[in-house]
Amino acid sequence: MKFKITLISLILFVSAITIKKGFQLKYPDYFPKPTYDLKKNILTKETIALGRTLFYDPILSKNNTISCASCHSSFNAFAHTDHSLSHGIDDLIGTRNAPALMNLAWQKLFMWDGAINHLDMQALAPINHPKEMGESINHIIDKLNKTAPYPTLFKKAFRDTIITGEKILKALSQFQLCLISAESKYDQVKKNKKQFSDQENRGYILFKKNCNFCHTEPLFSNFTFANNGLAIDTTLNDFGRWQVTKKSEDSLMFKIPSLRNLSYTYPYMHDGRFNTINQVINHYIKGIKQSANLAPELKKGILLSSNEKTDLIAFLITLNDSAFVFNRNFAYPK
Amino acid sequence: MIFIGFIFSAFYLFKPKPITLSFLPYFGKDSLVINKNYFSEIISDSVSIQSLRFYLSDINLIKNGRIIYQVKNQHNLIDISQKLQVKLFTKSELEFDSIQFDIGVDSLSQVSGAMGGDLDPMKGMYWSWQSGYINFKLEGKSNICNTRNHVFQFHIGGYIFPYNTIQHIILPVQNKTNINIKLNIKKMLSQIDLKNVNQIMSPSEKSVEISKQYANFFSIE
Repeated sequence: MKFKITLISLILFVSAITIKKGFQLKYPDYFPKPTYDLKKNILTKETIALGRTLFYDPILSKNNTISCASCHSSFNAFAHTDHSLSHGIDDLIGTRNAPALMNLAWQKLFMWDGAINHLDMQALAPINHPKEMGESINHIIDKLNKTAPYPTLFKKAFRDTIITGEKILKALSQFQLCLISAESKYDQVKKNKKQFSDQENRGYILFKKNCNFCHTEPLFSNFTFANNGLAIDTTLNDFGRWQVTKKSEDSLMFKIPSLRNLSYTYPYMHDGRFNTINQVINHYIKGIKQSANLAPELKKGILLSSNEKTDLIAFLITLNDSAFVFNRNFAYPK
Repeated sequence: MIFIGFIFSAFYLFKPKPITLSFLPYFGKDSLVINKNYFSEIISDSVSIQSLRFYLSDINLIKNGRIIYQVKNQHNLIDISQKLQVKLFTKSELEFDSIQFDIGVDSLSQVSGAMGGDLDPMKGMYWSWQSGYINFKLEGKSNICNTRNHVFQFHIGGYIFPYNTIQHIILPVQNKTNINIKLNIKKMLSQIDLKNVNQIMSPSEKSVEISKQYANFFSIE
């Protein structure tokens, strides 16, 4: 009897620990602590798998043609290559370039203007947007309820078959939280597994002097907003952060993107106006448009000789993470 | 066994009745009925209401300025066509002289990610394009509105200064088990220039102004 009780309580104790622990995100020790509160959305393999299935399923759009992956392709570090502005249902074109999805657990505000205040809520924006997926969360719930294997997948993930908005959003978050890019050459160097070449080292020094204040290591963004001296495109009249806060000092401020995986995520800037890294660097050297709220570090532009530019690019290329881009666990589920 | 049953029934008998908080929407002196035409003297035209929904949160019962009962972390979506009552389960009978509550969702919950129950975005009270809950929603029709189908839509939300629209309300009420709170939509609309202000659907100065206006027209029956 005593033995039985001990055994049962031991089993309960162990299972309680495993349930509470769930699935652990793996990231290097030089990364900061995630800003996403993982206690409020305990990761499990089943929920991550559900989120991945939803991410790749066009059922989330009004006419079942566009999935999250349509504009966030794993082969492009979850950005939308070759399109300056991303397109959604019925070939409608939006006003911004779809950003890359990686290291989202360390970000608080989403979208180029920070209009979204939490990763969980982010998916609602493209789902509802008439030019993106044009769908409502309630209609998605109706469709999922009628479509196998979703009721089973929800049961596996949440232990009941009732599909809600909360569960859909949390499952999508769980998959996206797993999209951690930390295997680039830069990371190998940080982990003492590889060494930079002399040229990459020179580029790294230039990077730290000229770029790191906004594109801060090790995530290569401080995820705040800045006016980086882009002239306004009058065909779009996108004033960025101002559209959310309505404060004049936020005019033309956009979210600072991470530089990780930059070779996979062209074109660049919120409206995809630059196709190459070279064009981006040239903008910082000689294209800065002066204005009152221009990032102070850019007031004088960035001074680089053509050799220095080549060195800087050599360093930036070390931020590409092919292990992330070609990770089968993040690709279309088969 | 009988003894245990006796304790349980005694416990049940002495447990106080829950306090029922009921919201009673009115249009002037009449109970508000959905889609019914009412006449408003102020605009000299008819008005009908199609939907009225708001979040009720942070309910406190007060005695001599001190909180004696508190409902924390609970957001109730009050909806004229679905739910107008909230029950407060107190441990003992309470004496109180006023009730306090908020209309809206607090700023911490606004940034806490996906939540279930009445806060699930499937309830239609969440702005997808710019994160935030709609604290108060009033939709209806009036010929005075020069809009498609003469509709007016007030989706009042915003949680960041200076466009914070959560409203704190204090009403005097004596030890009742049924607390009836009237909300007079006619009086609220009489404060709004409906001809020119009829589509509010984002955080703005106007949203803050309207949130203050409806906050004034909650009263104890």
